Order: sequence, then structure tokens, then C-alpha cells
Amino acid sequence: MTVVRFLLNGEPVEVDVPGMRRLLDVLREDLGMTGTKEGCGEGECGACTVIVDSGPVVSCLVPVCQVDGHTVRTVEGLAQADGSGPLVDDAGRPMLAPLQRAFLELGAAQCGICTPGMLMAAAAYLDVGGGPDEAAIRTAIAGNLCRCTGYTKIVEAIAAAAVGRHVGASEAAAPAPGRRATAPSPPPAAEAGAASAEGAAAPTALAEPPVASPRTLAEAYDLLGGGGTWRPVAGATDLLVELDAGGEPPEQVLDLWRLRELRGISLEPRTLVIGALTTYSELQRSSLATEIVPALVEAAATVGAVQIQHRGTIGGNLATASPAGDMLPVLLALDAEVVLGGPRGERVVPMGDFHVGYRRTAREPDELILRVRVPIVPGREVRFRKVGTRKAQAISKVSVALAWRAGPGDDGAEVAWHGVRVALGSVAPVPIRAAAAEAVLEGSAPSAAVAERAALALADELAPIDDVRSTAGYRRTTAARVLHRLIRDAAGW
Amino acid sequence: MTEDDKGMTDRSVERPRGRTLVDGPAAPVVVAPGTLPVGRASGLPLREEGPAKLTGEALYADDLVFPGAWYGATVRSTQARARLLGIDRDETFAWDRVVVVTADDIPGENVVSLIDDDQPILVPVGGEIRHHAEPLALIAAPDRATLAEATTRLRVRTEALPPVLDPLAATEIISEHDIVVGDVEAGFAAAAVVVEGTYHTGHQEQLYIEPQAMIAVPEPDGGVTVHGSLQCPFYVLAALARGLGEPVERVRVVQAVTGGGFGGKEEYPSMVALHAALLALAAHRPVRMIYGRHEDLAATTKRHPSIAHHRSAFTADGTLLAQDIDLILDGGAYATLTSVVLSRATLHAGGPYRCPNVRIRSRAVRTNTPPNGAFRGFGAPQAHFGAELQMSKAAEALGLSPAEVRRRNAYRIGDTTPTGQVLRPSVAAETVLARAVEASGFEAVRTRTAEARARASATAPDPGDPVRTGPVRVAEGVGLALAWHGAGFTGTGEVKLASVAALELGEDGRVRVLAGSTEIGQGSRTVFRTLVAEALGVELDVIDVAPVDTAIVPDSGPTVASRTTMVVGGLLVRAAGELRRLVEERNGGRPFARVRVEDARRHGPTRVDRRFEAYPGVHFDDEAYRGDAYPTYGWAAAVADVAVDLDTFEVDVRSVTAVDDAGRVVHPVLAEGQVEGGTLQAVGYATIEEIKVEDGRYRNDRLATCLIPTSLDAPRITAIMVEAPFSGEPHGAKGLGELPMDVAAPAVVAAIHDAVGIWVDRIPATPERILEQLLGAAGDGLDAPAEADAEARP
Repeated sequence: MTVVRFLLNGEPVEVDVPGMRRLLDVLREDLGMTGTKEGCGEGECGACTVIVDSGPVVSCLVPVCQVDGHTVRTVEGLAQADGSGPLVDDAGRPMLAPLQRAFLELGAAQCGICTPGMLMAAAAYLDVGGGPDEAAIRTAIAGNLCRCTGYTKIVEAIAAAAVGRHVGASEAAAPAPGRRATAPSPPPAAEAGAASAEGAAAPTALAEPPVASPRTLAEAYDLLGGGGTWRPVAGATDLLVELDAGGEPPEQVLDLWRLRELRGISLEPRTLVIGALTTYSELQRSSLATEIVPALVEAAATVGAVQIQHRGTIGGNLATASPAGDMLPVLLALDAEVVLGGPRGERVVPMGDFHVGYRRTAREPDELILRVRVPIVPGREVRFRKVGTRKAQAISKVSVALAWRAGPGDDGAEVAWHGVRVALGSVAPVPIRAAAAEAVLEGSAPSAAVAERAALALADELAPIDDVRSTAGYRRTTAARVLHRLIRDAAGW
Repeated sequence: MTEDDKGMTDRSVERPRGRTLVDGPAAPVVVAPGTLPVGRASGLPLREEGPAKLTGEALYADDLVFPGAWYGATVRSTQARARLLGIDRDETFAWDRVVVVTADDIPGENVVSLIDDDQPILVPVGGEIRHHAEPLALIAAPDRATLAEATTRLRVRTEALPPVLDPLAATEIISEHDIVVGDVEAGFAAAAVVVEGTYHTGHQEQLYIEPQAMIAVPEPDGGVTVHGSLQCPFYVLAALARGLGEPVERVRVVQAVTGGGFGGKEEYPSMVALHAALLALAAHRPVRMIYGRHEDLAATTKRHPSIAHHRSAFTADGTLLAQDIDLILDGGAYATLTSVVLSRATLHAGGPYRCPNVRIRSRAVRTNTPPNGAFRGFGAPQAHFGAELQMSKAAEALGLSPAEVRRRNAYRIGDTTPTGQVLRPSVAAETVLARAVEASGFEAVRTRTAEARARASATAPDPGDPVRTGPVRVAEGVGLALAWHGAGFTGTGEVKLASVAALELGEDGRVRVLAGSTEIGQGSRTVFRTLVAEALGVELDVIDVAPVDTAIVPDSGPTVASRTTMVVGGLLVRAAGELRRLVEERNGGRPFARVRVEDARRHGPTRVDRRFEAYPGVHFDDEAYRGDAYPTYGWAAAVADVAVDLDTFEVDVRSVTAVDDAGRVVHPVLAEGQVEGGTLQAVGYATIEEIKVEDGRYRNDRLATCLIPTSLDAPRITAIMVEAPFSGEPHGAKGLGELPMDVAAPAVVAAIHDAVGIWVDRIPATPERILEQLLGAAGDGLDAPAEADAEARP
């Protein structure tokens, strides 16, 4: 058991529960706050969205040990956004924040089960200054599935709330209209809102392996060097999905979330260094990353949706080693290196050697991924394209990264491409580079004829498989066509 | 307009949306403050249970706490078909810590009562397992860890049997129909143009965001109360009484706040409730049976897959002469509601078009996949997919606009349907078509896409070139579809149901609605209050809606078939009229609103019950399958704009203009919500929603792989309401919820054709299918590296 303290809707709370318990279960079962809903348990539906600090997260994928010392906001606290407002008016009616009121008036809540999570995703968006722009709103709620509304009225309501705020019309929470004290009460046998003694003591659905949360790398190395089998986790967005799917729980979990040494993006001579705990959101906000590795930033924006982007990390993407990992083809194309460290010291592994088999990496059991080093190559261009199963919350069917430097060709006459990298995801057990396609492009001008030969070479060297997401034929053809398009767009013909 | 049309009004709700919210991500425009319709709804009743849903106060089944409750789980088959030889307990486990229920422990009949008696509550030892994930045994435990442990200690012994998985090869017929009108072969002999096609639609998951959930509580009298997520409390009640062997008086069903249904909580909750109740009675304590998403996807009902073969004959001027249709539905392992789904599919199979010579043969067959069941549209979306693609192909063959060929053939007042029903007023096919064409600018867009196509084809490689891309990356297309949807139950269904709804003027002068209809997000509570307040001439806040508890409310029939506003709403409007007359008469003709409090004080509570009575002049012969299949029909049209990525063949549905005739719109915001939500479900059906079946098991039975559209996948939807009132109901409403589900899928597929020139006759129209069709049967048009791809190909 772990004592975890955090601010919940402005109030300090303390729970003594297994550290790997999902924040969702702590809220619903240990604290009896059932406003936050569970729709899938695997981070796909967003019904359990809450705000941790300022970011929306899916509480089904957050181990409670990782909110120790943080602030958590749930739908129950929405009407008192500053933590001071009343929850009910003098007549005992619930108060509605302007966002909730916009949802009510514009018909944005139907069955209501997605509504608490949708409201929290919207609140997080508005909190950081989000405006009434439709595309931005749709992106902000892309991690929240709604099956009733077609999203139309939800987008309208969020836009209306944003506009209301902009004109300073954000009045204090208003009483909810149309509610009376005699509204149908819950079924007589049920006690709402407060968990029973049994409820509080009951283990939840998932395995809750023991967890240690070191504060320094030295502490983490001590634990790793002390024997036992540790499963390091960063944002836990993969581990908790595995456990939900009935995966074998690890013997013990090493929670890296507090290791500040592994956070941040910095510049070294001719190298960009990205800490392993850098989240996809942090990558997108980083001006260094945006300037130096825009393709990596672009890839980060295609991972899951905002909730996952707030918790998932570049180190986690490397460690999970899924062939569909969105960062991996770009890192391959960038000639990145992975820095590993442990009680026996540090070592550097080139990206191309890091993934040694399906979901297997070169990391030894007593090692952690510390950071990623990306060489800064003057004149290098990188392009990335992910073909997913849908436009958000999508796992790739195929992804392609292409890197090159333009320079004089072999005959000195025309511009040719050098240092060409063609890297792909979801077409092999590991992210791969396409040697034959690279060979066609290397040293050549990116003409239509060369592009066609490169695309044909790529199709020829790939041997993807049929799986639940796509077919071998589609992957092979689409990889080739996407490469052709990337070359075509870059060359401008 | 004809004489009879005069009652029809086109009440399109003028939408600031299309102008105010920006046009596409490329050109974000910030909405000026004050231009968004904040408070647009003012004057309209707000959703009654809205505040509770928005604050997290609303209690869904899993939010209910019952002290001392145990957790329940279902042990399921892992084979599509097998003989169950035994269920063995691992003797090293302390079984006294849990309760186990098998078929032997069922006190009543081992049947989930519905239409046929073919589906057991639990497969008995010696019995046949008929589908993957079929329930075999139940376990309850005081905590989840013990429960999880116990489920692994129960061993199931089986003997595998060969499953039937191909509906075309299935020999066991659940239900079938054969409709013949006129002389079909003569029609084809006289045809100038014949269009032929075979259309496939796949399983579709309802994907309510709240999974199935039931909690059963044993009562001191030996009976049981269940609280849960459901659409049809009296279906659950009947199933519980029969399976538990209890009189209905000792069984009670209470609806918790329900997180979506779409048909998925029509019949399946009976199974969940039975399981929870059996465990609760065995454990002598409340048992919670809350499904996780994975279990819900793997085990519960889906939309019936269909295969339809159509031949249609037209004259040279585009008049429909004959239709010859063969339709097959895959029922899955048990009959559930399949016969009724097939009936609706059959009755809608020809689409909303007059045709003198029709043959429709249909059958639903049994296979060894989990049973298919109710889902918004209930057979009509499958039927319309083929019927509407036929019409779009006919337009192409005839050189007519897709709108024009429909306009020439769409039903009008006085036309006769294949069952011999003469359509009376409230036929709005031409109106919805005209509004959709006009509001979307269909003909102008069609001209533009045709020009773009011509320009692109001059420079681009064949779209089916395996690796070369063209200068243009995206092709736009526009498509149209038209549909009809029988309002309320099919045939004699409503008469047999004889639904009841009631109003009670309470001692405090407040009026209470007593109806068994469930609020599942569609807004029925708000609609009922609105209708009753209007009929009584009182303010809305005088009206309460009783909780749906079978101990309190009468059986108003199931909350399905878009019948709640139309039929139950109609009963309430009639009851309100009667209550008002009664109260006003005994108060000297003073208005109800003025005298209700005084009347209640003087006379005590007054209750008025209304039972459904057959609509005058509406007759259907179930045996002959002739007559008025539905009392009236709703009409819908949709225009879809798509952009197809020519590199990857991803389909982006950019906008849908949906025009729907609900007879009368009781609440514009709620009505639009129905149209927008139904439209997106249909867009998902057409594009990405697919259940992949392997050996009778759903492969994508997790939410990471079972996809529905996100906000970024959803098109801009413009909902336009049309009102062609139904004279059989005092308020004129005729149902809305299912209409949008019928049209958007064929409209999207027609738009894909407009963009890339191929007809995708199988939905979802995935990029894989489009590519395969463009590149031919070889799959990808490339020479496969021999060894690598050999095993990946069929």
C-alpha cells in the first residue's frame, strides 16, 4: 500500500492504496466520486478523462502513485472552477459552470455517459486559452468518443463557452434550471455516492503489482542493482492497457515519473538531446524540437489523442517497441541514438540496433532508457506520413519517414539527394529501414523516374502481414505510394 | 403540392452553424462573439435530466452502491460450436468462498424469453454450444480478485463440432418471405436498362459508451429486483419471471440512468439480468454484473450482416419497371429478434420507389456466430444500402442525375407498396429529396466534381497505378440517397402490444407522467413533458416524469422502433386531453392550469390511463403478408461530400446534409441531436466500422481495434427537419431516431464513386477494399515476392 496525497477539486485528499491502482478506481471506489465514468479501461473512449495539473488525462491509464503531490480536477469540481464556489445554490440545486450551461442549452449531452469526460477535455482546452475554432475544438476532444451526438452540438457548445469567456460573459456558476427537489430519487435500495465498507476494501478489477517511485536516478539504479525483476514505466499508458487486456502483471514496477533527470529537451554541440520522460505534448510545445526535428513533432501529434499525449513519452514508445510506434520510423530516419544507463554505467545504442525483435529491445533488465540523441545535420530534410485506422486515436497501418540532404550529384551537374533514409513502421516485426529504396535514391536526383524506381524497390523489399488493422497488400502498396508522394512533394514536380 | 399535401410544412430550422463555424481546418476563422447561438434553445425546454448528467450526479448502474454486494462473472465458450461435456471444479480451490451457477441451478425454464425459445440462459451439460462467448456458467464472489481466481479454476470440457459460418451455406432458416407483385419477367423484357448488383453489409456494433450492466438484489419475499442499463424494462421482467420460475409480481425491474442503447440494450439486458438474478438468489445478496468493454464487444449482439442481390429494370426515360431482389440476413446462433428484423428489411428492400412488378425473396439464416439483434434501423439500413446503390447506378446508366431518377420514381400519395398498401397523406419523399438537393447545392457540386475528375484524368496516372501518385492528391465526390422508414412496430405489432401510458394529477396539483418508456439519451423524458404541458396548457415545471420502475409505471411497450414520441407520446397527449376535459368539466369550464391545485385538493389524485387502439383504416394480414405494413412512414434524404485520398484511399466524409421528416418536431434541439447522431453512425457504418470475424469469433473485440468515428472523423452535419404530420396521432409525430441511419451510408458510397469512379458494393468501404477494387483481383497490383507474401494471401 502507498500513501498518496493530492488536491482533488481544490481539497486535499489522502488515500492509502496500492500505488498501481488506477486513478479511476481511487476516484470511483475509494473516494465514492462516481461522476467520472469508465467506458473501456484501455484509454480509448475518454469517458474517464480528468485534469491532472493542467492536462487532460484518461484516469484509467494513470496509476495513482503518479498523482502524488499533484492536483486533480473532476466533473464534480467543474462548477467551482476556482475551488471556492458553492456546489449547490440556496435551494440545494446544483450549480452549472458556463461550459456545462452551454452543453445543456445547445443539446450537447444526450445519454450523458461521455459527458463528464467530454466536459473535462473541453475545460482543459478552454483553460489554456482555447478559442471557438472548430478544428482546434475537434482536436481537443478527439480522445473522447461520443456515440449519440455526432459531435456537432458538443463542438458548438464548447465554441459558445469559449466565446462567452472572450466577451467576459463568464458569469459565476448559475443554478441548473428545471430541477426540483422532488426529482426522481435513486432506487430506494441503493445508496448513492458513498462507497460501502466492502466497496472500499475490494481489490479492483486489475492486477496491482507492487511499485517503487524513486526520486533520483541514483535511487532507481540502486533498486535495479538490488535484484528482482523490475518493469520500468513512464506514463504507464502501455502497461495499464496490457493489464486490462489480461496480460501477465510484472513482478514489480519501477515508476520513473518523478525522475526529473530524464525530462527536458536540450541542445548539445551538433546534437539535440531528448529526455526519455519527455511526453508527446512536451515535444509539441518545445520550440527546440519544432525547429530542429519538425517531423518528430508532427509524429508526436499523431499519437492517440491529447490525453495519451500528456502521459505517453518518447522513452516509453522506444521501450514498448511496437512495430507501430509512431516515433520510431522518424528516429530511424534521423540516425538517432538511444542512451541506456544502469548500475553498470551508460552506453549508446544506434536506433538501428535498438529494436532486436518483435517488441524486444537491446535494453538489459537492469537498464533504463535515459535519453535520445539526435544528430543535427545541416541541410537535412525529413518528412513523415502516418496512415492510420482513423484520424485520431489511431494505430498506424503503415508509416513512412524519409530523410535526405540535397547537394550536387555525382556528375556535379544537378541536385541530388545524399544521406537518404527511408524508414517504415507497421510493415515488419520492428520498425525498419528500406535498404533497396534508399539505394535507388542515394546520390540521385529526385526525378519522376527515380521516384518510381524507389517506390517499386520499396514494394519489392517489404513483406508485411495481414492483421486486424490492415492487409499485407494494402500496406505494401500504400508504403510505396506514400514514398512516391513524399519524393514528389519534396522535388516539386 | 397536391390537395393532400397541404398539411405538410417544411420547418427547416435555420442554422447559423453553416455560416458561423468555420469551413475546414485549412482556413480557421474565429467566430465573432455573439454570433453563436448561445441561448438558441431559450424558449425550448431544457433536457430534464441534463443537469444531473452534466454535474456527475446522475447514477448509472455501475455508480449504484449496494452494501454487501458481490461481483458476478460469466464463464463463456471459446469455441464457435461444440458439445458441452462437463464443467469441472478444481478441487484445490475453496469453492465455499464463491457461488457457482450452472444450467442445473436454474429454477425456471432455461430460456431467455423473447420470440423463439431457442436461446438458453446457460448451456446445459450435454447441450450444444452454438457460438463463441456463449454463457456456460456463472460465478459470484465477494471481491474481484477471488472472482478472477475462481473463473480460472472452473474447467470446461467440450467436444468440438463443425461450425456453420457462411450464411450462403447455412441451411437452417430462422424466417423467410416471398413477395410477388405483377409480372417481374415481363418488366425485365420491356426494359431499356437493367441494373444488377450484389451488396454486402457487415456486422456493426452499437457501441453505447456505457457497457451492459445489471445489479440484482434479492427481496425478503424470495423475489428479486434488478437495477440496470436497459431499453425495455418489461422484456427484462418477462424474461426474469420465466427463467426464475417466479410470478411477475415478485420480480421488479428498475432502470438506472442509461448510457446509450441504439438497440443494443433492447434484448441483451434480459440475459445480463437473468445472470445477475440467478447469482443473487444463490448468494443471498446483491450481485453486480457489470460488463467490461472487451466482454461486451465479444459477446453481445451486433447489426445483422446482409447480402442482397438486386436486378432492376428501367424504361429509357428512367421509370422503374421491375425489381427482383434476394436478401439474406445472417442471424447468428439464436433467433433473438431476427424474424422481425428480416420483416422490416424485406418491407424496405425496394426502397421508397413505386414499381409495378416486384419480387422480393428474403431469408434469415442461423450460423455459429454470436447472435445478431436490434440496432437502430433494424434491417432497413441493410435494405437501403442495396436499393439506393441500384438507384445511383441506374442514374449513371440512364445518363440522369441521381436526384432526377429518384424524383421520377419516388413514392407519392396514392401509390401502392409491394404489400398492397396504398400510401395516404404524410408522404414526403419528394420534399426531403428537394430540400436535400437544394440545401447541399447537389447539382452544382456534382458538376464541379465531374469537371475536376475530367481535369485530373488528363494528367494523372490511372488511379489504380500500383506505385505512382498523380499531381492531384485528393479527389472530391458527392452522393445522394433517399429512404423511407415504417413508423412504429411492423404489421400488427402495435395492436398486439396494446401499450399503456398514464397521467396522474397528484394531490399537490402536479402532473406525473407514468410510462415504461426509457430515457436512453434521445430525450424521451423532455419530449413527454413538452407534449403533456402543451396538451394541458400548463407550464413545463408542473410536469414530473416517474422513474422507470416496473412497480410504478405501466407497460408502454419497448423503447424501440422510433415509436416512443409517436405512439407513447400519442397516448400521453390523448390522456392529457381526457384529464383536462375531466378536470375542466367538474370545475365549471375553468382552464386546467388555473384549477389543477384546487381540483386536486378537492378530489384527491386523478389518474387517466390510455391503451393503444388500432389506427382506423390500418390493417395488416400477418399470414398473407399483405396490407398496411406500417401505419405511416418517415422519409429521409442525405447528401454526402467526400474527399478520397488518392495515395492511401482513405475516405474523409467532409459534410452531410441530412433532411428528415418526423411528422412533427416536438423539440428541435433534441430532433437535430437524433439526426446528427444517427448520421454519424451511418457514416461510420459506411467507412470504418467493421467487425472482423475469424472462426466465428470477433477478432477486433477491444476498443483499440473496434473503431467508431472520433470528432475528427465526423463530418460537418447539417440537419434539416421536415414535417409531414401523421393524422393517426393527435400530435402528428411519426418517429425520427432511425431515419438518418438509413441514408448516409449509400450516400457516402455514391460519393466515393463520384470521386474515384468505382462502386464499392461492400461496406465498410475501407481503403483496403477501394485499393483492391482499383487494382484488381491481384490485391495490390504488384508482383508479390514469392515466399514472403504466400501465406498472407487467401
